Amino acid sequence: MNPLLAVNGVSKEYTKGNHRFQAVSGVDFAITRGETFGLIGESGSGKSTLGKMVTGLEPPTSGTITYEGNSLWNGNRFNRLKPGEMQIVFQDPQSSLDPRMRVQAIITEPLLALPAAERKEKGSKERLLALITRVGLKPDHLNRYPHEFSGGQRQRIAIARALITDPSFVVLDEPTSALDVSVQANVLNLLQELKRERNLTYLFISHNMAVIRYMCDRMAVMQKGRIVEIGHVNDIFVNPVDSYTKTLLSSLPQLHEKKEDIHV
Amino acid sequence: MLLEIHNLSVEFESMQDRVKALQAVSFSIDEGEIVGIVGESGSGKSVTALSILGLLEKNAHISTGSISYKGKNLLSLSKKDWQSLRGKEIGMVFQEPMTALHPTMRIGDQLAEVIHRHRSISYKEAYRQAVASLAEVQINDPELVARKYPFELSGGMRQRVVIALAMSAPPDLLIADEPTTALDVTIQHEVLKLMQELAQKRGTSIMLITHDLGVVAQVCQRVVVMYAGEVVETGTTQEVLHSPCHPYTKALIGALPDLAEQGQPLLAIPGESPDLRNRPDGCVFAPRCSCSLPICREDHPVLEPAVSGSLTHQVSCWGRNQ
Ligand SMILES: Nc1ncnc2c1ncn2[C@@H]1O[C@H](COP(=O)(O)OP(=O)(O)OP(=O)(O)O)[C@@H](O)[C@H]1O
Ligand SMILES: Nc1ncnc2c1ncn2[C@@H]1O[C@H](COP(=O)(O)OP(=O)(O)OP(=O)(O)O)[C@@H](O)[C@H]1O
Ligand code: SF4
Ligand SMILES: [Mg+2]
Ligand SMILES: [Mg+2]
Repeated sequence: MNPLLAVNGVSKEYTKGNHRFQAVSGVDFAITRGETFGLIGESGSGKSTLGKMVTGLEPPTSGTITYEGNSLWNGNRFNRLKPGEMQIVFQDPQSSLDPRMRVQAIITEPLLALPAAERKEKGSKERLLALITRVGLKPDHLNRYPHEFSGGQRQRIAIARALITDPSFVVLDEPTSALDVSVQANVLNLLQELKRERNLTYLFISHNMAVIRYMCDRMAVMQKGRIVEIGHVNDIFVNPVDSYTKTLLSSLPQLHEKKEDIHV
Repeated sequence: MLLEIHNLSVEFESMQDRVKALQAVSFSIDEGEIVGIVGESGSGKSVTALSILGLLEKNAHISTGSISYKGKNLLSLSKKDWQSLRGKEIGMVFQEPMTALHPTMRIGDQLAEVIHRHRSISYKEAYRQAVASLAEVQINDPELVARKYPFELSGGMRQRVVIALAMSAPPDLLIADEPTTALDVTIQHEVLKLMQELAQKRGTSIMLITHDLGVVAQVCQRVVVMYAGEVVETGTTQEVLHSPCHPYTKALIGALPDLAEQGQPLLAIPGESPDLRNRPDGCVFAPRCSCSLPICREDHPVLEPAVSGSLTHQVSCWGRNQ
């Protein structure tokens, strides 16, 4: 099957004066439609940078990224997709929420890029209310400003904003890191339901192995800008090859013990 | 006690309504103690922290209560005194790291400036210590990172810089709001160890806000569980995590995702969090509680010993003896 997204030999070098910094080095992976692909790895290993290159926010220094077979980057120019087709939930929700806008305007802003008829349909009041309820916000929240919300509430506003256009492909960068387990469960369940209903495809970035295992079909482990291990989630969990993957996994049994402890 | 919060209630006023974010919150933190604050998203953890720091927004109104720090009531401090307390004695790691960083100043200089101000050493020496403090929070290539600007760092790197910043002028009370959310377990472990050392060696008290019960289990001596702006349970870490008494605490522990099977929905606590504009008369958790009694919807429970005679383990629940 042809992949929906294919990343081939992609590198990213940040330059400043005569300083060069290699954030991503020769990364290859592909994601099929309807698949959730997990990206896990050391802090600073290039996960968010990859997410930004895929969604048009940072041009790669070399390599190609294709979506439905078409190249996304033409040098430093991003070839725009159908509006609303691809969305990203940023790691730091604060930076993506304009403090001067009310929540309703923030969530519906991505619709402005759509043709009028589609905008009207997707921006209907019922749809908006259904969406915010599913991420655990309330109708009266729509009239408020971002600063009136808690950290986890802001993260959920960002998730609703990414889902409003009914995208086919979503990059989720640590989407639930600020949430308590119960609210996290709601958001992850919502993402899984949407995936089943609409055959959504996700690039799911997280540092939490338990969440990756629960959400993803395949995954890649990154270290220092490179992919050090890639494969099906179950295979990697049962039989990790790379030593960094093993370290990450060694943290899981501890959680199990703790949980069992708690239950006695 | 270093810090004692007593009966604290905070409301946010807007044109349309009034959000009662905190309702009669009481707890205390002893010298050198690490106390975990856990609770649902929106339950008032950050508002509690901001109240202690005097950093609540203008539309906030403290309707009842007191916050006593080393015996003085913080709520009667002048703006200026509060500011100097924040700089010297009470340190803060904010939930969103960008708010604490100067966007146009290099990381190394931001750290060195604080160190230089607090210890009588040359700027050059302060800069050397700044680089060392980056290494302490497990940042690779600290010399290089010291020359970067905040926007050039990854999320987890920024979070660690903010922790290094708070520790470089060691406070008597450190309030850390979700300090390790962006860190993987190995780095998180090291960062928590640093905090533990700070508490043990220097006697710094730490109020650690987190949604991660694993973090609580690793470093906290005591835990305060918040729900909808109230303290619903408190006790030693052992008591709260191993013999939780409040139905909310039990449900929180039951929702941990690490044992969930792929493809099975995760267990969430059914129902929604309450509307903070219209707080119910009875127990705030009643609409979502699986074991509610007739009295639960009528009368508000108060914190009482979870088992008779217990001085540490307290719970606010009518069903506590059932
Ligand atoms: N705009 C930039 N200019 C220079 N360097 C950058 C820039 N953005 C990121 N970097 C560097 O690139 C590397 C990768 O950063 P990235 O944000 O992709 O990491 P990450 O894997 O998402 O980490 P985390 O888990 O901490 O979020 C880091 O070393 C970072 O300092
Ligand atoms: N300036 C404000 N105006 C109105 N309401 C506010 C304001 N600040 C906070 N709130 C409300 O107060 C409640 C408590 O917020 P707080 O930030 O303390 O939550 P939290 O426990 O830190 O949650 P999280 O884990 O998501 O960070 C929330 O319902 C929030 O919407
Ligand atoms: S007081 Fe009643 S409703 Fe509230 S938590 Fe206890 S049993 Fe449940
Ligand atoms: Mg990142
Ligand atoms: Mg908070």
